[in-house]
Order: sequence, then structure tokens, then C-alpha cells
Amino acid sequence: MSGVTQSIGSGRFSAWLLRQLSRPGASFLSLASGGLVLAILWTVADWLVLSAVPPLADPAACAEAAGACWPFWMEKSRFILFGTYPFDEQWRPMLVSLLLLGLSIATGQMAVSGRWPDMRLFAGLWLAGMAASFALMGGGILGLVTVDATRWNGLPILLILSTIALALALPVGVLLALARYQTRHRLLHRAAGAYVEIMRGVPMVTLLFVGVFVLPLTLPKGMAIDPIVAVPIALVFFHAAYFAEDVRSGLIALPVGQQEAASSLGLGFWQSARLVLLPQAIERAMPALVNSTIGAYKDTSLVVILGLHDLSATARMAFSDVAWGNQALEAYAFVGVWFLISCSYLSWIGRRLAARAAQGRNRSV
Amino acid sequence: MDRKLQIPRVPQDGPPKAGPAVSLADIGVGLAILAAVAVIAFNVHSNMLAAGIRPGFAFLTQQAGFDLSETLIPYGANDSYLRAILAGLANTVVVAAASLVIASLAGLLLGLLSVSASPAARFFALAYVELFRNLPKILVLLIIFVTAVNGLPAIRQALVLGPFTISNRAIYLPWLSQDPRNTLWLLASLFLVCALIWLWARHATRRQALTGRRMAVLPVALALCVAVPTVLAIALSAPLGLSWPALAGFSVEGGAALSIQFCTVAVALGLYHGAQIAEVLRGGIEAVPKGQIEAAAALGLKGGQTNRLVIMPQVLRTVVPPLNNQFANLLKNTSISIAVGYSDLMSVAGTAINQTFRPLETMLITMSIYLLLCLVLTGVLNHWSAGTRAREGRGER
Repeated sequence: MSGVTQSIGSGRFSAWLLRQLSRPGASFLSLASGGLVLAILWTVADWLVLSAVPPLADPAACAEAAGACWPFWMEKSRFILFGTYPFDEQWRPMLVSLLLLGLSIATGQMAVSGRWPDMRLFAGLWLAGMAASFALMGGGILGLVTVDATRWNGLPILLILSTIALALALPVGVLLALARYQTRHRLLHRAAGAYVEIMRGVPMVTLLFVGVFVLPLTLPKGMAIDPIVAVPIALVFFHAAYFAEDVRSGLIALPVGQQEAASSLGLGFWQSARLVLLPQAIERAMPALVNSTIGAYKDTSLVVILGLHDLSATARMAFSDVAWGNQALEAYAFVGVWFLISCSYLSWIGRRLAARAAQGRNRSV
Repeated sequence: MDRKLQIPRVPQDGPPKAGPAVSLADIGVGLAILAAVAVIAFNVHSNMLAAGIRPGFAFLTQQAGFDLSETLIPYGANDSYLRAILAGLANTVVVAAASLVIASLAGLLLGLLSVSASPAARFFALAYVELFRNLPKILVLLIIFVTAVNGLPAIRQALVLGPFTISNRAIYLPWLSQDPRNTLWLLASLFLVCALIWLWARHATRRQALTGRRMAVLPVALALCVAVPTVLAIALSAPLGLSWPALAGFSVEGGAALSIQFCTVAVALGLYHGAQIAEVLRGGIEAVPKGQIEAAAALGLKGGQTNRLVIMPQVLRTVVPPLNNQFANLLKNTSISIAVGYSDLMSVAGTAINQTFRPLETMLITMSIYLLLCLVLTGVLNHWSAGTRAREGRGER
């Protein structure tokens, strides 16, 4: 018995060897990329663990160590997350972060499961969450100490800017998509098209500059606008164009019969859009919408250029602390891990939705 | 009984129906846009006058007064704002071109790895793509920048690797010595070689279409690459000496310098978009049905022929539109180089805004330039790739 098994085993091995020898190119590729993967893993492990300074060691050792400085993470994590927000009040940004994360994750799970609650309740919850975030961060009510917007730093800024901008940009984008989809009102059609194409042809940084520098100029004399408000407005204008294009591609993909059937049932434009066209179009456009959302969320970190202190700015402040030598890589790695986790969650939603859309198509065919 | 049958009017609000030339809603939209523009113009005008600034584009001819760390076209602090913006534009174009090359190479390599027969190679490609898809580009740029600045040697201990001198301030390489004739020779050769090869290739294609005979293209192109620069060098009597970088005190003299900002922006955007291009290519290659490859094998086509004649045309058909999109995105994303202090168009605009307090005019110019660049790039790419698009039926090109 054992002889038989052995011969099969060696047969398998020799077959494998033969296959490798018969295509030296692929085997060489395997060896080279396997070696590369191992080398990268080894470098990372060496930096993170082997030559790193352990968490409870003396921070002074970090200056000579070739690896990561764990004491820096122990000490500065809180600073990178909340920045210069008054130390004793930092439960407020934490609460805001949890609130916005909770709302986002709830939305994500609803998108994955495909079961949406009443839209009015849902939108109301989001608006209440936004208002609560601003109230909690700013203070000045309910006995909370007033905190100037320049001290709103780190994670809450990233979440406030990205969730608010995205949540408001989606409805605007849907309206733009409908305006561009319909051909009855030609000026509206043209104007929406021109707007979307112009927005998609300029970098986001230019829009941020417009928000911070041009927007205050366009307000009536004596009115001022804080960058913390101007930037989300600029972001809404920008992301709405991308969302509009995603939704419009969903609308175009719909069979013409849907629209005709809705018309023949006597539905007006708004009714047919709300009840017939948009639900199907948005479902089709969901993977593209999630992709745009991931891109927009990642791009929110560009606000650092305008001097708003999101995670990468607080990371820079953290490693610029002269008491700590130069731990730039540690600081940015911390931010990188946050983005890897949060974006992986969003990508997972996107994959689930794409898989479900593919399933649905197979079923209908 | 003369009551007519009452047929209720069916509402005709359907979007695809062509309505009257101008609808009421259109008039409303037009008026709203006009009103918004008027209010904004009035507010901007009064705000700027209150700040003591006359709105207008006259400031473009004023002296800019700030220096740029590196410029491609001659520029000094005494030059005008217009020239500063042009210098920034040139820097943007150069860094976009460099990162486009890096991104294409990285994307091609990783795209091929991700469909290769080797599991290790596929894993490597997958991990790379996932990593870069889940990180913001500005974080990638900042990480590469701090690693380069902290990891590379200071200028006095600069690393000399063959012809390259590498420090954390810049990478120096030998370059043609400073001489106007050399510059002219380089530009003229580049332009003439490209133009002649293009003309010859077009001629060869037409001949083949007419007579069925293939003409030599590659040998002619190589011959042109050698002959044109030689003839031009003699005609212009260019000295063509090389200037080598050499350490002199606290700086490096001679040669050409690629600043560390330029290198990190080019590499960061190259790696970031390389991941996206790889993903596009993988999708395109996987979309080719297996039956196509089997059919090619059954027809007796060899591996290379299968790739060139059967797989590539189908892959190109699906990947070219998203690739063109990627290249446009890459061009727009060069605007993040302001974060590491590379003097691109956006950072020149930022400085100009700070100095003149004319955000409206400056941003109008900047955004128009970016929009124009994007339109030109996508136009050129679409023109080039028109041949790869799906051609239904027996249509000619």
C-alpha cells in the first residue's frame, strides 16, 4: 500500500518538475517574484519587529535604531488622531468620529444587504448626524467649551469633510444626471453637461483653492466663510460631477422600454424618475458609485494642501516634534494603516455589490 | 348622443421626447444662471474694490518677484506673472510626461504579472494593486518624499553611481554642455526624427494598402535616428560636449539636475497610476474568451502571433478608453506636487494668489489651462487610438 502511495506521490512530484522544466519562463518568474515578495516581507518584518524599538523602551533609543520606533506610536497615536484639540475635551472629536463612522458603516451595510429604510428617516438621520458633529466639535452650546475651527484636527476632520461632502454630493449628482439625461429642456441638458465635463477636466486641488480663496470673494460684503465650511462646499461641487456621470451611465444602460412603460402608465417625469428609472439606474451604477466614493474619500486628504489639518497634517505635526527626532515614516505608516483598513472595507462593499449585480444579470438572462 | 368620447390627455413628460425649442424650464434655468453670475460678479467687484484691487488681467504683465526652484524655460524673479505661469505649466507637462512613462511601464509589467502562469507573480501583482488602490496618492507622495529625503545621502556625501550623482537634494546626470547650438540641435533632431518617422510610416501604410507590398519601417526609422542628428550636428556645427556633474563645495556643478521633488512626484504618481493601469490591463486580458486562444492554436498560429493578431486587438479594444481616462487623471493629479514644493502650475498659482490677492483671475487661468491640457491630451489619445476601437461590419478606417 505504502509503495503505491509513494509512487503516486513521486509521480506527482515528477510531473510537477516536468511541468516546471517545460516552461522555464514561468518557473523563473515564480522564483523571481517569490523572492521579491519574501524580500519585501522580510524588510517589513525587520523594520516592524526585529530592529524596532519595543513599545515600552526608552524613546531615546529610537535615534539610533534602524527599525520602527514603537514608543512614538504609543505616545503620538492620540495626537495623530485628534491633533491640537484641547486635550481634556478630546472625547468630543472621538464621539464625532464614532458617530460618523457608525452612520457610514450602517449605510455601507444597507447597501450590501440591499434593504434600505424609509429614505426620509435615513436622510434625516444623516442631517442630524452632521449637525451634531458640528455642534460637538465647535461647542458653545449645552455648556460645552467653544473650540476654534483651526483646532479641529485629524480623524474627525477627515470624516466630517468626506462624509458630509459625499452625502450631499450624491443627491446633487443624481439631479445633475437627470438634468443631463433628459433632452426636453435643452438648455438644462447642455448646462448640466458642460458643468460635469468642466468639473471632470480640472484637478480637485484647483476646486479646493476656489473654495478657500474665491468663494469668500463671491459673498456679499462683510460676510465671511470659514475654510471648514468652504472646503465641504467645494467638495460637493466637485464630487457631484463624478456621481452624476456614474448615475447617468446607469440611466443610459436602462432599456428605453422602461421609460416608455412609465409614460404609458401616465407617470410624469418626476414620478417615473423616482419610481422607475432611478432605482434601477442606481442599482446598476452602484459599483461605479462605490469606486467614486473610495476615490473621493482618499482625495479628501488633499485638504492638507489648503492648511486644514487632516490625518496626514497631524502626522506631520507629530513627527516635527523636536523632542522626538525624525519619525516621519512611523507617522505616515500610522495614517497609511488607517486608510488601508477603511478603504479595504469600502472595496469589500464594492466587490459584494458587483458580485450581486452580476448575479442579478445572470438571473434575468 | 352627440357627446364625443372623452379621451384623457396622456401626460407627455417623457425625457426622450424632443419638446419645443425653448421650454419654460429652460428660460428659468437661463435666468437663474444669469442672475447667479450677476450677483457673483457684483459681489466680487465690490469686495475687490474694497480691498483696493482693480479686477482684471493686467497684473499678468507685472513683475512676479518670486523665484522658482527649477524651471525648464528661462525664468527669473524679474520676469512677469505670465512667464511664471508658463514656467509652471512647462514643469507640470514635464513631470506628467515622466510619470506617464513610469506608470505605463509599471502598469504593463504588473498587468502581465497578474495574468501570468506563476502564482507567486500573480500574488505580487495583486498585493501591489491592492496596496496602492487603498492609499491616498498624497500619502504615497509624502511617504516616498520623506523616505528619499531621509534615506538618501546629503549633498556632500553624494553617492556616485556610474554617470549618476545621487543626493537627497537632486539626482545629477551628465548632459550636453551649456550652448545654444546644443539646445537647438537636440530640439531640432527630436522634432525632425519624429516627424520623418511618422511621415514614412504613413507612406508605408498607404503603399501597403495600394500594392499589398510591405515596406521596411523599422530599419528606416533606425537609419533616420542616426542620420538626422549627425547631419544636423554638422550643419549647426554644434560642439556636443558632455558636461559631467562634479561636487564643488556645497553643491554639484555641471550636468543636469533632476530635483528630488521632481523625482518623487514622478515616481509616486507613476507607481500610483501603475497600479490602476495594471488593473485595467488585467480586466482587458481576462475578458478575452479562452475560445479565441484555442481557435488561434487550432489555426496553427504560434504564441507570438496569437498574442499579436488575436489577443492584443481585443484587449486594446476594451482597455484603450479607460487607459485614456487614466492618463488624463494622471495629468490632473500632478497638481498634488504642490505638497512637496515642486514648482508646477498649481504651486505657481498658489504663490501668485498669495502675492496679488487675485484668486478669481488666477484660478480662472489655472483651471482653463488644466481643462485645455486635459482636452488636448484626451483628444490626441482618442485620435491615436481610433484604430483600436471596435469596428462593426466591414467599415473602413
